[in-house]
Amino acid sequence: MTWLGGAILFWMAAWAVNAAVARSAFGKGRAGRLFVPVLFGITVLVLWEGVVRGFGVQPVILPAPSLIGVKIAGSLEVLWADFMQTVVKGALSGFVMGVGAAFATAIAIDRVPFLQRGLLPIGNFVAALPIVGLAPILVMWFGFDWQSKAAVVVVMVFFPVLVNLVAGLQASERMQRDLMATWGASYWQTLLKLRLPAAMPFFFNGLKIASTLALIGAIVAEFFGSPIYGMGFRISTEVGRLGLDMVWATIAVAALAGSMLYGAITLIEKWVTFWHPSQRH
Amino acid sequence: MREKALPVLAVLGIIVVIWYAAAVWMNSTWVYDQAERAGTTVSFAEMVPQTMAQERPLLPPPHQVAAELWKGVAGQAVTSKRSLVYHGFVTFRGTMMGFALGIVFGVAMAVSIVRFRVMEMSVMPWAIISQTIPIVALAPMILTVANQLGIDSREVPKAIISAYLSFFPVLVSMVKGLRSPDAMQLDLLKTYNASEGETFWKLRLPASMPYFFASLKVAVAAALIGTIVGELPTGAIEGLGARMLIGSQFGEPLIMWAALFAAAILAGLLILVVGAVEQMARRRMGVPA
Amino acid sequence: MKKWLTGALFAAMAGTAQAEDVTLQLKWVTQAQFAGYYVAQAKGFYEEEGLNVTIKPGGPDIAPTQVIAGGGADVIVEWMPAALAAREKGLPLVNIAQPFASSGMMLTCLKETGITSPADFADKTLGVWFFGNEYPFLSWMSQLGLATDGSAGGVTVLKQGFNVDPLLQKQAACISTMTYNEYWQVIDAGIAPEDLVTFKYEDQGVATLEDGLYVLEDRLADPAFQETMVKFVRASMKGWKYAEANPDEAAMIVLENDETGAQTENHQKRMMGEVAKLTAGSNGALDVAAAERTVASLLSGGSDPVITKAPEGAWTSVITDAALQ
Repeated sequence: MTWLGGAILFWMAAWAVNAAVARSAFGKGRAGRLFVPVLFGITVLVLWEGVVRGFGVQPVILPAPSLIGVKIAGSLEVLWADFMQTVVKGALSGFVMGVGAAFATAIAIDRVPFLQRGLLPIGNFVAALPIVGLAPILVMWFGFDWQSKAAVVVVMVFFPVLVNLVAGLQASERMQRDLMATWGASYWQTLLKLRLPAAMPFFFNGLKIASTLALIGAIVAEFFGSPIYGMGFRISTEVGRLGLDMVWATIAVAALAGSMLYGAITLIEKWVTFWHPSQRH
Repeated sequence: MREKALPVLAVLGIIVVIWYAAAVWMNSTWVYDQAERAGTTVSFAEMVPQTMAQERPLLPPPHQVAAELWKGVAGQAVTSKRSLVYHGFVTFRGTMMGFALGIVFGVAMAVSIVRFRVMEMSVMPWAIISQTIPIVALAPMILTVANQLGIDSREVPKAIISAYLSFFPVLVSMVKGLRSPDAMQLDLLKTYNASEGETFWKLRLPASMPYFFASLKVAVAAALIGTIVGELPTGAIEGLGARMLIGSQFGEPLIMWAALFAAAILAGLLILVVGAVEQMARRRMGVPA
Repeated sequence: MKKWLTGALFAAMAGTAQAEDVTLQLKWVTQAQFAGYYVAQAKGFYEEEGLNVTIKPGGPDIAPTQVIAGGGADVIVEWMPAALAAREKGLPLVNIAQPFASSGMMLTCLKETGITSPADFADKTLGVWFFGNEYPFLSWMSQLGLATDGSAGGVTVLKQGFNVDPLLQKQAACISTMTYNEYWQVIDAGIAPEDLVTFKYEDQGVATLEDGLYVLEDRLADPAFQETMVKFVRASMKGWKYAEANPDEAAMIVLENDETGAQTENHQKRMMGEVAKLTAGSNGALDVAAAERTVASLLSGGSDPVITKAPEGAWTSVITDAALQ
């Protein structure tokens, strides 16, 4: 019970510190912005450790964070190989291809109103579909290696990005467009200087959604057939082997990879859409 | 009306044509292989009809999928376990539970994040990270822990998984929406000596509504995805997700495709309803539709 | 005083003749592989013993070992390699009965790949199930001296999904099949038996025990639980023998219990016929020699054995001795 009580005490103390930091000048700086979430994360881990030890939860149900940490340190090589297979080869390549294709399609149908009227309702519809159900079919088509995972990711990210971008391209105001017209701007000039920049907040919204979908797609696809490495393979295999510490180690890597992708997108967004009210605090 | 329908129908027509061509192309390998194993040869004209009616096609042609879908929807009593209506309803129920849970959670978090700096600083980064955790990996563990806590229902873990995916779009859009009033508007309210609560109710919340409704479409779709993904590890017993998995597992692509299209129809209905709600809300708030 | 209280409590419980609840977690989805349990339930064999049995179907993401560890089941159907591996991980599973006498596991290859014997596996791609089902395969390969980590001269291992597509699409030269299930999916897909080469684990001398009943060791110390399990095993074996004698009826019972609505009568009847061949030699009692063969096979895993030391107390005849009197 000391474990549990200690963890709860720690949690309350950490929350008080965080609240104080958030109000203070330190919290406004870069260090403070890092300090608060990190302390919060540590609190969650301490609470987790306390609950697992306090209640004597078996490691085959929920391993303690310390055990997971030991596992991560001990299997860096395996985790790295899985990361390369699933994140770099599967998710990232699929993400880039999917976003590229969506971008090209959005520009193409922007020029041709007939296509836009035809494709947009369909694209809107498909964006909402549980594309993940296609995973077993795409694995059947593209084989068990990373190509099929990239294919799942392409299909999953394509439509959210397309729909957001097309909506964004219509976000500029009539007055702004008229202004461009009075300046004698060509279609491409209007597109590049006004409509694309105006579409960027929407586009990045789509990208953010797509970045979380990409990892899910790549991992789910591995459940339906894979080589003997990859994060989805590791998770599904180790659950069966009761290697729950390895499962959580892989989940930690997946979370890290996903956050890095999301973080990169956010950074680019800040740089591109500095003018949008949501970027000003 | 015709103005709108014509391009959609044209694009759909093109898709169907491409689909048929792809079906012939993809399924032909099997026909040729079978002929080779039997020691015979087939001409192109003989091959094409054989690609249209395979039991395990790589890509079933549209009419095969439509027939299977029709069989699943109309060919059974709706209460039958072979009925797609039954499985669709199971998925629908799970989606609604997750969707509702997701909205409540997402809005509550967005409000507290915009209001309390400490919440934003400590929780927001983790909310983002939570989405990067592949939920499919957590699903069996959610199930085990739920079991441990004495929850034996298959619905609860499914709803949790579904809410886990659907709260995020709501959260992101609401934070964006609640922050969307620009400095001038905020300054104006300050000159009116408005309290924080008044600023929230009179400016921030109304300003966030377009963002909120726009996020609902994404959220309902995410809830459906979550439910379908959640139906795989919860024993793959009922629901459209289970049908897809079962189709894959027994090598019955037609079951899989029919379930996929049933899920598409369900998604379409959900989006129509959410879209209608959005329109209604916009009209009431005086935004031209 | 305490003794008296528990005694009174016990008497009170016995007096009401309350049905004892038992939850059984299956290893896979509802199919004829588990016909015995469904028959015992449908035919009232469990009820006759005063048991109220809940049968939980498994699935691709359900590890019975984890379910029992989480308290979601009292008894599970599991393969011995996975159970022993779990035991080494600290989950003390004990085999209390073994309705399956022989293994139904095979490796099925396309003849056109030129494979005629296990010696030809080198440099080929082989499909394997994971999720705890990979152990028999891995120990076979290490006995053949074939590396499974993708190095030259070894075999390339592919984690096959839940179906036989890798073979049909020629992504793998051989895939894992069960005599009662996947093999027939290959045949149904239109490949003639003459075009296939199959290696049964039984014939290769690497068979491991499948589909045994496992419980947690500490619960087995409780005499009341022991008694419940005796009743459960007795009724289950009665179900199995009934299923063997009436395969068509058993298949229909399974179909009625299939909540997915995707199983077909044809496939289940055939599966029941094949499963009956595997259960035929067993009265439920574990053949200790076969169990020791399983252990030996798992221990001989070269550099990466499935288990590192021979388990102690991983099976007991206490239940079956009492049940089969």
